[in-house]
Amino acid sequence: MEGGMENASLELDDIQAGALFERPSPYVGTYLLLRIADRADGRELVRRLHRLAIPASGAGSADDTSITVAFTYRGLEALGVPQTSLDSFAPEFKQGMAARAEILGDTGESGPDHWEKPLGTAEVHVAVAVLSSDEATLQAVAERARDAHAELPGVDLIWRQDCYQLATGRTSFGFKDGIGQPAVEGSGRPPSNPRERPLRAGEIILGYPDETGELPPMPTPPELGRNGTYVVFRKLHTKVAAYRSYLRDRATTRAERDLLAAKMVGRWQSGAPLAVSPDADDPELGSDPRRNNDFLYADDPSGFKCPVGAHARRANPRDALDGEGSVDVRLHRMVRRGTSYGPMLPDGVTEDDGVDRGIIFVFAGAHLKRQFEFVKTQWLNDGIFIGAPLESDPLVGPHHDSTRFTIARRPIRRRLQDLPPFVITRGGEYCFAPGLSALRWLADLDT
Amino acid sequence: MGGRGGAATQPGIRVGPTSEFSLFFRVKAGQAQPLRAALLALQDTPGYRPGDYGMAIQTIHEARFVLFDDDTRLAFITSFDGPWDAYMEDFFTSGPTLALFDVIFGHVEGYDGLPDVAAVRAFVLGAEQTAAAYARNYGGTVKEIRTAQRVNAAFQQVLDHPEAAEALQHPALQPLLDEAAV
Repeated sequence: MEGGMENASLELDDIQAGALFERPSPYVGTYLLLRIADRADGRELVRRLHRLAIPASGAGSADDTSITVAFTYRGLEALGVPQTSLDSFAPEFKQGMAARAEILGDTGESGPDHWEKPLGTAEVHVAVAVLSSDEATLQAVAERARDAHAELPGVDLIWRQDCYQLATGRTSFGFKDGIGQPAVEGSGRPPSNPRERPLRAGEIILGYPDETGELPPMPTPPELGRNGTYVVFRKLHTKVAAYRSYLRDRATTRAERDLLAAKMVGRWQSGAPLAVSPDADDPELGSDPRRNNDFLYADDPSGFKCPVGAHARRANPRDALDGEGSVDVRLHRMVRRGTSYGPMLPDGVTEDDGVDRGIIFVFAGAHLKRQFEFVKTQWLNDGIFIGAPLESDPLVGPHHDSTRFTIARRPIRRRLQDLPPFVITRGGEYCFAPGLSALRWLADLDT
Repeated sequence: MGGRGGAATQPGIRVGPTSEFSLFFRVKAGQAQPLRAALLALQDTPGYRPGDYGMAIQTIHEARFVLFDDDTRLAFITSFDGPWDAYMEDFFTSGPTLALFDVIFGHVEGYDGLPDVAAVRAFVLGAEQTAAAYARNYGGTVKEIRTAQRVNAAFQQVLDHPEAAEALQHPALQPLLDEAAV
């Protein structure tokens, strides 16, 4: 294994910080989508954004601000990237998320026909994420980002979404999110799960060997592909009132409700994993980054502690499938960046207030198909892999058909029936976040 | 869910949760005998021994290797829970399975051998033919069928108890009583 050598050569100066590292909590942020109507203006925009983008080597302090820049296929086309280069991108990226909707389970209310405009249209070219530790700094930096496209008549701001992450890390369903992140070789960050070897860098960043020992398919020329990563963003509306009502109707006490909710998620609200604390929440455990991701599932194959169909166990089965001979969990890991949007539904409210709230889900990884799409389609939307084809993820599954959720319990399992959808896709895009020198390459195109 | 909706991008026909998966190869000249010998040896490995019911890949229902056209062709035919193309990368990084197949594939044309995983993947995908027709006579994944067998064994054990008839009189057990007569 040449892992050590690769470690040393991960080019943190050239990788966008947002691709590799999470911002310290709490933060506030804004997602901007831009349309390039004029190629020269588009390249000037990229030139200006390049000056604002932050390398992974410069990330880390709580008071800094990060700007991450990514492009859709249409965006790269609008910038004049040569066709041979466009053709070299992953097929899923070229198709775009809307074209993949049926495969992803984004149908019915979650279908592209119902998506918030301009998500899923050919208008979306550039995605910019600005995250900052406080509102004032965010405004200042957002101003700079706005300046980057102001006075460029050929660039239009077509969508803006404010977002935030609370200091508790909790999202609208009330759970601390974003705990189970994989470590990446060469990133300089230690794993939060000491039982999971850091991923080969090529699982997340293009241009390095991945877990198969090979270089992931990388867009050409290397000046464009190297140190880039694919980024998925999805705006997910959460039906918090429906979720609370569903739980309320199936529990007689608050403790029972909290337990049902925890069984669905795989963690207690504090983030404490059921695998470690199966019977009661343990807020100290939940907030301890050295312990809240330090666990496996193999000692609990039937899911008495954490149900095999729980959200967190589906999204990352850890060692639960190691004996199956058909799946290598390390090929299906991803960097996740969840942020919240919209105001939290006040505690105890179970009537829908009509307010749009939810999660902006962000994925970063080198493989759209075998990472994001695999996890979404095989592990969240389906139950074949746990021997329960009729069950999908109890929290985020599409629940088109009558979905149920089985909770292993002695002496008799509990089964929740008729789960309605709690998460509706409002739209999203497949993007490519180039390395910093690739941003310059894009700005300097002369096609 | 899933099913035929994504047929355009998911080779192999699905019936319920299960997909068919068939590969067809050309046997290298002069390799028919060594290939037969390799398959005979395979048949004697754990999981492939008749009655073992424990193949390394726990999500396949059955698998067969067929030599045909005077031993000039080889088919590998199986049924798999889930869309198999989603799991191709996993197979190609799974050491034990690959090593097993390596011994077989060495006797057919176009196989350059391990450890070039990308080449193996291209080789396998190039050999795949989607069925023109496919049917199954029972539903359910391997996992569900194993569970069903376990539950039935337990039920038969209950029925063998001398007081089973009395025990099954409770109204909640009526569906079980309905299955108890034969």
